[in-house]
Order: sequence, then C-alpha cells, then structure tokens
Amino acid sequence: MALRDVKPTRSELIGLKRRIALSERGYKILKMKRDGLILEFFKVLADAKDSRGELLQKYQRAVESMALANTVEGAIGVKSAAFSVKEVPQITLTSKNIMGVVVPKIESSKVRKSLVDRGYGILGTTSIIDETATSFEELVEAIIESAEIETTMKRLLSEIESTKRRVNALEFKVIPELSEARDFIKMRLDEMEREELFRLKKIKARMKA
Amino acid sequence: MEIAVIGNSEFILGFRLAGIRKTYAAENEAKLTEYINGVLGDNEVGILVLNNSDMNRIPGRLRTQLENSVKPTVIAIGGEEGGLSMRERIKRSVGVDLWK
Repeated sequence: MALRDVKPTRSELIGLKRRIALSERGYKILKMKRDGLILEFFKVLADAKDSRGELLQKYQRAVESMALANTVEGAIGVKSAAFSVKEVPQITLTSKNIMGVVVPKIESSKVRKSLVDRGYGILGTTSIIDETATSFEELVEAIIESAEIETTMKRLLSEIESTKRRVNALEFKVIPELSEARDFIKMRLDEMEREELFRLKKIKARMKA
Repeated sequence: MEIAVIGNSEFILGFRLAGIRKTYAAENEAKLTEYINGVLGDNEVGILVLNNSDMNRIPGRLRTQLENSVKPTVIAIGGEEGGLSMRERIKRSVGVDLWK
C-alpha cells in the first residue's frame, strides 16, 4: 500500500490497527506451522535417504537379471513366462493428514510369491526366470515402500516452501507496510490536531486585541 | 488396489513377471499421455510406476499433476531424476543442504 493512497482519518486508523493485529496473529500461526512441518520433514528424511538408495540398487539388479534372462531364454521365453503370472500384488492406499498436507499411506500384501504360485511352468523355464521374477518382486516391494515416503517428502517440501513464502511475505512486506501506514496516519492526525489548536489560539488572540 | 506400470515394453516386462497386470506399453509420447490419463482416471490403481526418462518427456502440466497426485501415488524410477532433484528441492525449501 503506497502511502499516498492512505487517507488520514480516524476510521482508517482503526481499520489499519485491526488489520495489523490480524496479520500478526496469522504470522505467528504460520510460523508455528512452518516449524511443525520442518519437524515432520526431519522425521521422514532419514527414511527417504535409505529407501531411495535401496530402490536404485534393486532396480539395477532387476534390470541386470532381466537382461540375463533375455539372453538365456530369449525375449519370447521371458514374455511367455511373464504373461502367465496370475497373482496380482494388492495394495491398500489410504491418505493421512499432516498439518493440512494430505499424504498417502500404503500397505501391501503378497508381493512375493513362491515358485508354484507364479503360474509359469517350472519345467519349461530355467532358474534365471525365477531369479528375475524374485528381483522384480523385491523391486516392487521397494517401490511400494518408497512411493509412500517420497510422495510424503515432496508434498511436505512444497508445503514448507509455500508456508515459508507466506511467513516471509507477512514479516517483511505486509506487516511493515501496514505499520508504516499506521504511523503515517497517527502523525498526520496529531499534526492536524496541533494545527487546529494553533488556529484556535490565533483566533482567541485576535478577538482579544 | 493395484499397481500400474507405464513405459516401454522392456521396462514393463519385468513388472509383469512380478505379477502386475496393469502394464501399458507406451512407445510414443501420445500413447504415453493417453495411458497416463487413463490410469489417473482408474480408481483401482494405487501406485503408478513410470520410468524417469518418460517422466521427463510428458508435458509440464501433466507432470505437475502427477507430482501432486496422492491417489494414485506416482513414482519414477531408473535413469536420471528429472526436473528438480530431491536435493535441490530440500535446498530450496529448507535452505540447508540436508541430503547426505
């Protein structure tokens, strides 16, 4: 708010004071929210580091064994084994609320299967297929685990960023400008009062003379 | 709920071996966008797995939508992490490099 737009009136002053009080209250609450979010973030951070590394490792291993299986069995062999797998890994996805940030909560069941449950014939395929299937099952488990953690991290981070922006805008922009306008009006009102007093004195002196 | 995988045929094959049924082979960008939109509308999908290189190829708006989506939760694996990496994000949001 530019100072020249401010009308030096008493009602404006009252309104401004109200707005300052509101902004300060909001600022305090948002600051607490920011601190709370950062605390939550620290809780997830350690898990996230572990899970990302693990995921990468498992992915590499899975890709390697896939390449191996492709070489030994041929693309068709792997494909036919892949298309005969019947058991579907099931997950339950619910959402959780951390200070207004909605984050997913994932639980999984039966990702790993025994050889018999996989559906392809044991006789017709080599053990490489089994190994590949196992490594991909492990990868899927890791994905399920880190999907939750990573999404939580991402959402927390973006929320922290926007909250931080809001806190800073209030602290360095909104509240200082409002206080400046308030001080300006106060000064102007005082000035007007002094002028009025002086005018009265002047009139009084002229009437006496 | 189930897991869905979108990517090139090589990428999805392994996931089929792990028992995931909802695998979509997307060989070009138009197909990729089409499948992603399909999966986003599918209530039965809990997690969507994408390849990082594919994640970098899809339009920005859809990518933001994917990043902010909770149901389904989207995760990109393999290759280079696209866009802002986790490390940069943390640096930007918290102000300190806490990653590693």
